[in-house]
Amino acid sequence: MTLLSLAWRNVLRQRRRTALLSLVVVYVTVAVLFMLGFLDGYGESLVEAYARYVEAPVVVAKEAWWEDPDPTNGFTEPPPLGVPYTPRLSLYVLLRSPYRAEGGVALGVDPEGERRLSRVPAKVAEGRWLEGRGEVVLGYRLAERLDVRVGERLVLETGKAALGLRVVGLLRAGVSNVDFAGVYLHLEDARFLAGTGVWATHLAVEAGRGREEATARALNATLPPGLKAKGVWELMGPIRADYEGSRLFYLPLLGLFMLLAATAVVSTTYVSVRERLREFAVAESLGLTPGRLAAQVALEAALASGVGLVLGLLLGYALLYYTATHDVFGPLMRLSVELLPESGLSEHLYTALRPVYALYASLVVALSGLLALLFPGRLVLRLELARYLKGE
Amino acid sequence: MKRTLAFLILALLALVLAQSPLDKLKAALDRLRGPAHQGVYVLTVERPGSTRTYRIRVYTDGKRAHFRVLEPRSEAGQAFLSLGQDLYLYDPRLGRTLRLPPTGRTERFLGSDLTYQDLMGRDLEELFQVEEAQGVLVLTPKPGAATPYGRVEVYLKGDLIERVLYYDQRGQAVRELRLGGYQRLDGAYLPRTMELKDLLKEGYRTRVEIQDVRVGPVPERCFSPLVLERGC
Repeated sequence: MTLLSLAWRNVLRQRRRTALLSLVVVYVTVAVLFMLGFLDGYGESLVEAYARYVEAPVVVAKEAWWEDPDPTNGFTEPPPLGVPYTPRLSLYVLLRSPYRAEGGVALGVDPEGERRLSRVPAKVAEGRWLEGRGEVVLGYRLAERLDVRVGERLVLETGKAALGLRVVGLLRAGVSNVDFAGVYLHLEDARFLAGTGVWATHLAVEAGRGREEATARALNATLPPGLKAKGVWELMGPIRADYEGSRLFYLPLLGLFMLLAATAVVSTTYVSVRERLREFAVAESLGLTPGRLAAQVALEAALASGVGLVLGLLLGYALLYYTATHDVFGPLMRLSVELLPESGLSEHLYTALRPVYALYASLVVALSGLLALLFPGRLVLRLELARYLKGE
Repeated sequence: MKRTLAFLILALLALVLAQSPLDKLKAALDRLRGPAHQGVYVLTVERPGSTRTYRIRVYTDGKRAHFRVLEPRSEAGQAFLSLGQDLYLYDPRLGRTLRLPPTGRTERFLGSDLTYQDLMGRDLEELFQVEEAQGVLVLTPKPGAATPYGRVEVYLKGDLIERVLYYDQRGQAVRELRLGGYQRLDGAYLPRTMELKDLLKEGYRTRVEIQDVRVGPVPERCFSPLVLERGC
């Protein structure tokens, strides 16, 4: 009989105990899978929101503009970049309707260039996207606050100039910054409002998903002096700190969960081994070495937690699949968006589903086996054969 | 024959002297500011359940204005200077004079319903095209004009503005400015009372009453931002 089948038989001998142990491991495995999927999903939703709605995959601007995003620090003519881009001009404006005035940041864009790079033009819920000068497109929540409708005139004022622009579209993007504060106007109108001879404040550059930082690094190696490219992660505001903080907080917590689960498995194994010391003594007297006996104890712990792991993986991946395909967190995210309207949060969050989570979760099995080798295993290694064989 | 000739001459004279609606508006706006004068304006800001009264010393030459809050004590010492597009504010709590951006012209004056533009602006003639209908000047925004209003009606009594009604772009009246108690001072007119009502919010009203007017040239130093702190 092999060591594995011996260990398996022993695990099955105490079915109730094994079931309870497995339950602990199931719980921890599901927790590990879910938290990893949630954190990665949260990160992906932020990248999607900032790369395709709030900012761009990569943004190039003058270093002075990164320091002080004032239009006077923008480009006065198209810079030689070597890659396709769409120019943007952002500026602070006062938005004035007959009922309310509110400050905000307006983004002057090339309507066609924006269609190629951003998802915002496709999110017009009422009216249409920009086609020419004299038009403005607003986030629907901003339009509600200002009480302006499609077809009405909205005044945009800066310290330099003022324009009455016709509202031609309302956006419902499901991304807080766009819906709550989005103001898009034609680049030429933005240049008029900036009034400083500025051509654009920054340039939005395309990059594939997951290639944003590499593209920014490659651009920085070739850009003329005084220009700097930033990938989407660098473009995120304080919400990036929230995401990174969450990871810093939850990953050690998950490690602690796994350690506690392994400790539970090992302490039960310890009790089990103490109850069976005479049995181990007989096995040793029949020729099984103490080392093989200790290995059998470790295997028992690993098997007991392995059963829980398999069940936990099944349950955990089923949960992740469901939350990755259904908008379960929609209400929670919408509440967060209401509380933090300028955070760049998306109204939808789908968990990530990656095979590597199984590897992380299986650490609990390895940990159980290792700890079992160290503690209950040592009991077997120090076994006094004569004492136990005499039945003392 | 003589009678016909006289009639023709009178008709031609009437044609020559007839003012266009825009001319009428310009003339009325010119009269609105009054002559150069100093005075005390009493500003009463009414809100549902509360009323706040300010006494403000004003120096103006008709184009530029210097406002200094005298009462209430908690706000006393605040001063505002309007020089065309430039606006300056002195706040004694900060101990500094700040230059407000031109967008500040649309901000509310001392939390009232009045904007700096209402006090000193000439936007009506700059942003709107003027027509006359049944004795009322009807102003509609020029294309691309930087005004949120859909229409403004200016009611005249003789050559003086009696009432200005602002409409939103849905045809609903949203603001009403009433001017009254015009006095002829030194060859110019000055409205002694001004009332501005927010027609969308019940109980929101601002009244301005002009007291202790002294007509005459205002020292040039009153229009320097450097004197905002100590007064002129």
